[in-house]
Amino acid sequence: MFWRNNILAVLLLCCTWCLATSEEFHEALTFRPLQDGRLATRFTFTTLLRGAYPRDPSTLQEEDESQHYAIFPLALGQVLREYAVTELHLTLNAGKWDYDHWGYPDEPGVGTGAELWAWMGESAARSVDERWKGLRNALSGQFCASLGSLDEQRTTSPELTFRPEGSLPQWGTTHQLRHGTLPSEHVCTENLTPFLKLLPCKSLTGIASLLNPHRLFDADWHGLGVHVRYLENEGIEVRLSFQSVFDPVRYSNGRRDWSLRSVFDRVIDRSCPIAHSSEIRVAIPKEETAVAITPDSYTTHAGFVYFNVSNASKPLDISMSWPDEQKFEYATVSSAVPLTHVSVRRTLKGSSQSRGRLSVSITNHMPITIQTSYLESMPWLLQFYLHSLQIYSNGVSRDDLISIVSYIPSVPHVRPTLFQAILTLPPKSTLHLSMDVIKPFLRYTEHPPDAQRGWDLPPAVLVPLLHSNSSTLDPGLSNPPSGFEQLRLPRRMYTPVLLVDLATPDFSMPYNVIIMSCTLIALIFGMVFNLLTRKFTLIRVSPEPK
Amino acid sequence: MKAVLFLFALVCTLWQCVHAQIPSEQEQHVTSFFNSHGGSTSRHTNNWAVLVCSSRYWFNYRHMANALGMYRTVKRLGIPDSNIILMLADDTACNSRNKFPGCVYASAARDLDLYGDNIEVDYRGYEVTVENFIRVLTGRMDPSVPRSKRLLTDDRSNVFVYMTGHGGNEFLKFQDNEEISAFDIADAFEQMWQKKRYNEIFFMIDTCQANTMYSKFYSPNILATGSSELDENSYSHENDRDLGISVIDRFTHHILRFMEGVNKTSQATMQDLFNVYDYEKFMSHAGVRSDLFRRPLDQTYITDFFGGVSQAEVMSPPLSLSPSSNEGSEPENVPESELPVELDQSLDFTSWISSDTNATVRSADEVYGYDGILHELNSRAHAPKQGENMQSVRAWVSTGLLVALVGWVGSNTT
Repeated sequence: MFWRNNILAVLLLCCTWCLATSEEFHEALTFRPLQDGRLATRFTFTTLLRGAYPRDPSTLQEEDESQHYAIFPLALGQVLREYAVTELHLTLNAGKWDYDHWGYPDEPGVGTGAELWAWMGESAARSVDERWKGLRNALSGQFCASLGSLDEQRTTSPELTFRPEGSLPQWGTTHQLRHGTLPSEHVCTENLTPFLKLLPCKSLTGIASLLNPHRLFDADWHGLGVHVRYLENEGIEVRLSFQSVFDPVRYSNGRRDWSLRSVFDRVIDRSCPIAHSSEIRVAIPKEETAVAITPDSYTTHAGFVYFNVSNASKPLDISMSWPDEQKFEYATVSSAVPLTHVSVRRTLKGSSQSRGRLSVSITNHMPITIQTSYLESMPWLLQFYLHSLQIYSNGVSRDDLISIVSYIPSVPHVRPTLFQAILTLPPKSTLHLSMDVIKPFLRYTEHPPDAQRGWDLPPAVLVPLLHSNSSTLDPGLSNPPSGFEQLRLPRRMYTPVLLVDLATPDFSMPYNVIIMSCTLIALIFGMVFNLLTRKFTLIRVSPEPK
Repeated sequence: MKAVLFLFALVCTLWQCVHAQIPSEQEQHVTSFFNSHGGSTSRHTNNWAVLVCSSRYWFNYRHMANALGMYRTVKRLGIPDSNIILMLADDTACNSRNKFPGCVYASAARDLDLYGDNIEVDYRGYEVTVENFIRVLTGRMDPSVPRSKRLLTDDRSNVFVYMTGHGGNEFLKFQDNEEISAFDIADAFEQMWQKKRYNEIFFMIDTCQANTMYSKFYSPNILATGSSELDENSYSHENDRDLGISVIDRFTHHILRFMEGVNKTSQATMQDLFNVYDYEKFMSHAGVRSDLFRRPLDQTYITDFFGGVSQAEVMSPPLSLSPSSNEGSEPENVPESELPVELDQSLDFTSWISSDTNATVRSADEVYGYDGILHELNSRAHAPKQGENMQSVRAWVSTGLLVALVGWVGSNTT
């Protein structure tokens, strides 16, 4: 009787178990204490769908096979298959990533605002642009962000800089890249809510229960990312990440000790039962001061301390303290060593409202020559005058240090500028690049509601490469193998966003003009009408009869 | 003589017709059951809410708090996120000026955080425009607009539209650079009526000179309320010393205070809500427009608009009802002993309940309890049969009488 009633339930359970073995979910949390007393954290939630294959865009006109997932987020899976997307990266960041003091981020996409880029295969049935429009609208609804406004005026295809991070299947058609940025986009709890709903354990158990929006959005820098890529022998991997840089010195009045309770205001009560692996990594700072880490149940490996969340005693509260330090001392400017090989600074100079000068200074801290690719995808409202491009290195004009790879000039109201170049940076020197730009006078209806604030310009992207003389190293490694010191070059570096102040009209003028012209017309018409039609005549008034 | 007979025949036919129109006892019992929780006659089956905050900038924090207060109320009373369109023109919770990141408070005491951990804002920032608002109401959108940004109402939906911001005589400012007029909203509602996109609309607006905004409506089934009359301002309620700005408006604050006493099963009516209006508290004359609304206000529940409580639809039972086996039709939470021993063979109510109208019983379950319903239905299971029999007997008797009369008249005249 019991089996007859519940045979369906048992079958379902078997099915989900079978499916579950082909899907894996891993979660990890990494802490890195930084030199200026801050703490960089990174949450990574990876779901791997084994044996899966992205949808072939040539099958877009036929009906798709039905999707059954146990752990893989269905909402995202449906969007990916609807538009036949092979690789997708979406980041929503707030703040400015300080490369000099914080080093390279674990996730390279740290441009402020929203950044969406996707690799899609060509298809005769539906064009890539049409699918790009559908994709950004679908993602804007999914993540409560205004990604729908990444239209053709903000979309470019910088294929040299944004290489695919996974593999692209061989379908016989080429893949195209679409990239758009919205630097003025805010990130808030409404973006985190659907993000958490894509996780199998939601925010109830496991590491995701630490994601407290009241603390995350108080951080000095925070950003969430959704990365989907196809790995050839494995399947489709979805990586949801949340990076943030906290300031424990600000919370605790001068000490840089931190714990899960002090940073997130939460502890881990239960581990996620679905997770294949669930671990917390803490980087041991490379300084002389002694550091104490609690609880004691950790393993050490390659400069990191590992906690296994499933085995640890709950509630789990990890803390790190510097017992010998009374108060944290900030390093002085002269003694602070830049943590990156290359530093970039981008500014917009000029005080006129019609033209300016875009200036980029790149400093090479290494004793060897480094080549870097430089990408500017500027909206059409700032037009470059490429003939005025000047390069100076140590005061000497060096035109040989730049080689322009591609330049697609902007067309007003239609498409943005795409400028890609390779810069050669001599050792231990600073390169100054500058060119004239003009600022347009926009149409009255094109101004945003807060027009006096100005327009945010997307960040420039640099990809440092090694000079061909040195040995080539894989630039994509994020975890170097232990015991081997190698040059860790990041995939991409982002400059901060710029704010350009365009001339704004007097928005009350249409009202003034209408009122004035109506008044004038009324007065003039009245006068002319009276002159033409009014006639003065004499009327004799006869005396009254007596 | 013939005239008297003719009159008699007429009276008989009229009597038969009248009897045929009296609803049978079965229908009477069922209608009274579904109306027995107070007699609300609303025909809606689902609820939607469109909450708009149309002003930008940090100093308009209170408008964001107004809209978020309504959002939390509507969510608490049962409308899910998928049925709420929330439009916030600026980001207050994660604004760099906000001393309490991720929080929006509606009172200086900061007792309740309206932003919370679970919120979905459908239109935000530059997307909150007059065009998008009217597209949401009328449903005319690009096919690529995602589902969460659409108002997918039908002709049985009750829609609650709440707008707040800066406004004036028959206009409301959107983001400080464009306006929507009362005529635009009235026309949008008329389009919704003609396309059968609502059953009833409750329109609430909290701006200066708010009552002028609903003066132009001309579509039926709209109930409207505003916070101030023509040439009157609506005022803010209190300032927060730490944030440095006003956190809530008076009209919305008092409405939210009233709503705190309303829960999902509350029978508070719209008239109770409108009785809260007081010039001393608001410093402005709040108004109500109910001439387009066909139901009386003291019989219209608050939860008809603010809550996600659905009404039941009376469906005719399926034609062939055979007693089904226990496996499929037994609802899980009824133990074997509670089922009535004698079930009428032709009307098997257990299969009727579980297969067709599970949802109905579940929602009424909160009010009555499952056993009570089953018991009531079974006690009336026999009564409809008797009524039916009486009706057919009466029809046959009167027809027979008429035929006999005609025959007698005919035989007498020949």
